[in-house]
Amino acid sequence: MSLLDLSQWQFAITVMFHMTFPAITVGLSILLCVLYGMHWKTGNPVYLQMFRFWRRIFAVGFAIGVVAGIVLVFQFGLNWGPFAAKTGPIMGPILGMEVVTAFAVEAGFIGILLYGDGRVKRHTMFIATVMVAIGTLLSSSWIIANNSWMQTPAGFKVVNGRYEPTDWAQVILNPSFLYRWPHMVLAVLISASFFVAGIGAYYLVKGRALPFARRTVSIGLGVAAILLPVQIFVGDHVAGAVLPHQLSKLEALEGNWDSTNTGFVLFAIPDQQAQANSAQLSIPCLGSAINKDLTCHTAIPGLDLTPKQDRPSMAPVFWGFRAMFYAALWMWGIVFYATVLRFRRKLWSATRFHRFLRWATPAGIIAILGGWVTAETGRQPWVVFGHLRTSAAVSHLAPAETLFSVIGFTLLYLAMLVGYIVYIVRTLRIGPERDHPQQETHPTSSPGTAHTATAETTAPVGGEV
Amino acid sequence: MAIAWSALVLLCLLMYVLLDGYDLGIGIGTLFERNAEHRREMLEQVAVAWDGNETWLVLLGVSLWAGFPLAFGTILPQAYLALIVMLFALIVRGVAVEMASQAPPSPGWERAFAVASLIAALAQGVAVATLAENLAVAHGAFSGSAFGALSWFSVLAALTVAGVYLTLGYAYLKLKTAGELRAAAGHRGALAAVGAGALVAASLGAINATDAPLNLHTAVRAIGFSGLLIFAAAGVVMTLTTLRPTSPHDVLPFAGSAITVVALLAAIVVARAPIIAPPSLTVTDTVAPSLTMDFLAVGIGLNMPLILFYSWFAQHSFRGKPAAAERRDTTTATGAHHGHH
Repeated sequence: MSLLDLSQWQFAITVMFHMTFPAITVGLSILLCVLYGMHWKTGNPVYLQMFRFWRRIFAVGFAIGVVAGIVLVFQFGLNWGPFAAKTGPIMGPILGMEVVTAFAVEAGFIGILLYGDGRVKRHTMFIATVMVAIGTLLSSSWIIANNSWMQTPAGFKVVNGRYEPTDWAQVILNPSFLYRWPHMVLAVLISASFFVAGIGAYYLVKGRALPFARRTVSIGLGVAAILLPVQIFVGDHVAGAVLPHQLSKLEALEGNWDSTNTGFVLFAIPDQQAQANSAQLSIPCLGSAINKDLTCHTAIPGLDLTPKQDRPSMAPVFWGFRAMFYAALWMWGIVFYATVLRFRRKLWSATRFHRFLRWATPAGIIAILGGWVTAETGRQPWVVFGHLRTSAAVSHLAPAETLFSVIGFTLLYLAMLVGYIVYIVRTLRIGPERDHPQQETHPTSSPGTAHTATAETTAPVGGEV
Repeated sequence: MAIAWSALVLLCLLMYVLLDGYDLGIGIGTLFERNAEHRREMLEQVAVAWDGNETWLVLLGVSLWAGFPLAFGTILPQAYLALIVMLFALIVRGVAVEMASQAPPSPGWERAFAVASLIAALAQGVAVATLAENLAVAHGAFSGSAFGALSWFSVLAALTVAGVYLTLGYAYLKLKTAGELRAAAGHRGALAAVGAGALVAASLGAINATDAPLNLHTAVRAIGFSGLLIFAAAGVVMTLTTLRPTSPHDVLPFAGSAITVVALLAAIVVARAPIIAPPSLTVTDTVAPSLTMDFLAVGIGLNMPLILFYSWFAQHSFRGKPAAAERRDTTTATGAHHGHH
């Protein structure tokens, strides 16, 4: 393994780990805002119960997302020093905008959202939930602007090897940004919907906290049912808008080495050395049909159209895209079936469906990770597509240093992931019952801590609305 | 523009040292605290604020990257190991704080929080010490070795940073707590302040033996430097006299430590400007092009007052002393009102 491979692996590990958390928390922050608002407006205690329960899941996920995000900022300078020095005049200010308009807003209000119950006024609480939600949304916008510039760079000139802006509007509103941004926002909302619905389904199956569980599943599946069709439409346009700029990515994600296949490749084991698939399964004529030719004559472009030194590695691009695509189909099937059940008023009696829905909890997260793998590995061997090669962007570190950090991040992140999953499972087992406002007459769990104590003091106040 | 932007980078550094400094310091302090309830209360003080405080670290990194890209891209690789260890520690710490406060009691996470706070502070000291070693740059990229920037000075700087943070932590605790914990913070804080003062003096004395000696060759620099050191010393005296538990002043210890930190940072800037890293990397060599600086001035400059406001607002919402005793009182009162207890 070379220094470049190590640094790339480290980036892949840290960025995928980080992405897992915004995939849950951006949507949850909006859910928390809605739930607190609904509770304030209607006084229905179930909303406060939902708010408190989901806040527990949100709190730890948000913290992990924040610390894993700090790593990413520093990593640009640590492992990709030449990249940071060359593209800093463009990447730096956009990331700076993310920090000042989003990160700082979230950080300023998250403390109130998490610990303010009973210590601050109710409208301050509500403002905090709104600000955190706005922060998470703004954050994703700037990040996508940054990444889109690396995919489809615009509005710059190169002076002494350094990328300098010439037109900020073109830099930020670069060709792929306007498509990728809604695609990402929809993606995080859908992934949070499935996350919420899946956990709600767990309680339906267990027959516990049913009012809570039904409302949770209803919100999750309802939001997903509205957004998924929009997402499939937007996703198709992302492909249409981004790929003319990045033909090599399109060629790799379709899984063809030459340009003769009129079918659509469902499964393949790409062999980069042999420039061929060692196994392949495709649906005849579907590829041609996707290109709007039903006569089965239009072949899908293959990777042979890209010069060898500019080709990405096919396997991660192909499989990243398939993971996203298959997860999207899976989710679409679920919301379609759920909507049918809902109209036939059978949603709450369909126990087999509830059992199945539990397994879809991570479906959206899988789709998002797959999409990012496609976007990032499909951009290779470039870091700024068509302009700066990844191999020219890596810091000259000692391989041992990089190995140390790769191993460290891997172990640490595995531990964090296991820790978070254990925490979620434990929170699920304890259940939302303790979060119900009427429940605090029997303070069962974890007495003697500040949070529990303060949460209990506010509960009666909340219930009186 | 290069000067104005370096002032902003320094502001971020200063805010970070003061804010995350106190919460890392409280974390280190839990290592010496035997009373479990006090440890818990210390952790709660950090839980509501660490996230906002660490914003300044991110802002520091990003403002350095955007304004001085070459400095960001060469200094960080030079401090690679120290910064990686710092990041590991900050990750463990952030997660440990939330885990410990969301799912108590969790002695394991509390321990992790304490140790990670100490490691983060030490690693920051080592990272800062790399700025006292010559930076090797070739073709716009770092070209030095992995351990080239580690020396005895790194050890001294690490201890100094940890000592200063610990003092800030105790000063903050005296401000935000009551009763026994406040008294303990006063006693231990005074010890920490003496130790930190001695370490700072040793570091300043030792700096001339590194690759980055102080430049006091002009009258302005020499007078400015010594004047600021007098301020720093006054801050130390103020901290020491008001930290004693018998002293009724709870704001002054933190204010005194803050004065010391500000004066020290300013003194070092006076003696080093415009060099960022030795032998000769300056702010003007590394500054970003003018269109970038214009964008930064408008986009980030105009947002700075808002960010300072958020920091103030977050602190303001949890103002006063949320003492454990007080909180138990309110719980009992409400509980009684609803017919249980």
